[in-house]
Amino acid sequence: RAMELPTSHFPAARAAAVALGYLRYLRGGPGRGLDLRELRRARRQDVDDVGHKYYLELELEDVLDKDRTVNCTAEVLYHLGSKSRAPDVQVTVQGELRSTEEADQEFYHRIRSLEKELVAENIPDSHGNVPPALQPIHLLAGVASGYLIWQNSTENTKFHLARVKHVKQVKRSDEDLQFDYVVLLHEMVSQEVIPWEVTVLWHPQRGARVSRDQRQPGHTLG
Amino acid sequence: MWALLLLIGAASVSAHLQDLSFDGQKVFRVIPQNDEQVEILNFLASIMEVDFWQPDSVTTVRPKMQVDFRVEAEKSFKVEDLLKESGMEYQVLIDNLQAALDAQFDSKVRTAGHSYEKYNDWDTIAAWTADIAAQNPDLVSRSVIGETYEGRPMYLLKLGKSGSNKKAIFVDCGFHAREWISPAFCQWFVKEAVETYGKDTVLTTLLNKLDFYVLPVVNIDGYVYTWTNDRMWRKTRSKNAGTVCVGTDPNRNFDAGWCTVGASKSPCAATYCGSAPESEKETKALADFIREHLSTIKAYLTIHSYSQLLLFPYSYTYSLPSNYQELNSIASAASKQLASLHNTKYTYGPGAKTIYPAAGGSDDWAYDLGIKYSFTFELRDTGRYGFLLPESQIKPTCEETILAVKYIANYVLEHLY
Repeated sequence: RAMELPTSHFPAARAAAVALGYLRYLRGGPGRGLDLRELRRARRQDVDDVGHKYYLELELEDVLDKDRTVNCTAEVLYHLGSKSRAPDVQVTVQGELRSTEEADQEFYHRIRSLEKELVAENIPDSHGNVPPALQPIHLLAGVASGYLIWQNSTENTKFHLARVKHVKQVKRSDEDLQFDYVVLLHEMVSQEVIPWEVTVLWHPQRGARVSRDQRQPGHTLG
Repeated sequence: MWALLLLIGAASVSAHLQDLSFDGQKVFRVIPQNDEQVEILNFLASIMEVDFWQPDSVTTVRPKMQVDFRVEAEKSFKVEDLLKESGMEYQVLIDNLQAALDAQFDSKVRTAGHSYEKYNDWDTIAAWTADIAAQNPDLVSRSVIGETYEGRPMYLLKLGKSGSNKKAIFVDCGFHAREWISPAFCQWFVKEAVETYGKDTVLTTLLNKLDFYVLPVVNIDGYVYTWTNDRMWRKTRSKNAGTVCVGTDPNRNFDAGWCTVGASKSPCAATYCGSAPESEKETKALADFIREHLSTIKAYLTIHSYSQLLLFPYSYTYSLPSNYQELNSIASAASKQLASLHNTKYTYGPGAKTIYPAAGGSDDWAYDLGIKYSFTFELRDTGRYGFLLPESQIKPTCEETILAVKYIANYVLEHLY
């Protein structure tokens, strides 16, 4: 009873963006960013009294290694009626993602040994540049945004990370790294750019988790 | 020193206009001490071409005056011999004029600093519109179609070999301020036209048979604002009555199902449709121009970013245009052309179904006016950098997009109506 959808049309694209956000959150890190290379197939099923369920087949690429792609399947369930309930997402990655162990360790020790806590803003800059030293910070912002995108998407939204407005490292007594971000999320349908505070904890073995997030009042009005 | 740069500048302007080479030419500086030495300079001017830089004529030369003059490469040895023989005090000011000119053009010290592979601010683009027209008078002319809210002139470039009864294609960029790759494309398109005219058969034929109206930046005020205040700004910069919120979405401001769907009635929203259709000076200027030239404009292309899409009507309704099949085929073929260069995948289709329903768009408006080939491009990328597309991607983006635009233009030429 699942209906085939044209992958070129927006409903499928939006569901794919949610799946990608979820996967970024789960598997992304300072050494790994994932992008959608192609949406291969999309189907939709209307589940009575529950919501709309999308079945997707995606081809993803590694941001740091464009020649490397990986296939995955995903299910995205948007819940009926409730705009505030995050979609349920399940993703299965076929095959192996490139190991980032070395890069992760290097990043971890570099940040831990900083005397002054890292602070940066406007990544990328106005001309699209990301200084190489801040590339992992940018990728980690992608992880945090992935969480926000997953948690806040509906069938009528499509979010992308537009820019890191500000990032501040917060030194911790435990082994995690902590970064307090203000990211700008671009929402495609309303065309709004929304500032969002989000705190990410990250550890080379344990991965990333968002500990706190708060949407800020809209982008400058004037 | 400054006088010298000024003189080189003067020479370089004239060089550019006449397209001569100054390879090996020398510039001498002499100080004739007496009437005899002045006479030697007169003699020199009578037996060969001498271009006096200062004073501008040999007749004004007097003793003790500093005299600068340019001579051809082959003549410079003879001149030097003559000066040595005469005992006149001289120096070689410029040993190779062409080398000096080349160095100056490469130097960042040059005003304007326009680059096709960088994002240029508005002042630079404005100066470029003047320069490109002045340098290519047979192919490019510049006009002003109106003024922005903040009083800036809206420059329009007309490309094409002059001829009678020519039909035209209208291309605009920079509707939305933060989409910087868009104005970059319009500049690139003009560059391609002037640089490959006479060399690229397709473009040469297009420019001979058609005119292109290119509006490099529609929303100039917004564009300036993204450089000075807020890189993420989208709308115009017009004040809205009764609120601190500024600006209207120019691509919701046209009279095409105006404000019925996909646009907001709130002035604070990014997709605010405005107080009325064409409430914005910029959209009114564009619409007026197209209406005035409606009998000649046969296609309308509007360039945006991002998402890698090639869209055609309608966006204000899910209904399909009467020549849907044709538009779909064109879009399909144009997308293939685009992808042929760097494998960049574009999605194509009617706006409402492909991206979202949105009323008030210029493409729908142009189409309903009778311009049956109306397309919206959403350029690179698909979200990785979004509006902040790195400058290193300007060239590949523009090169691939030009293939699609040439395809469409060629199709239009072969299906004139």
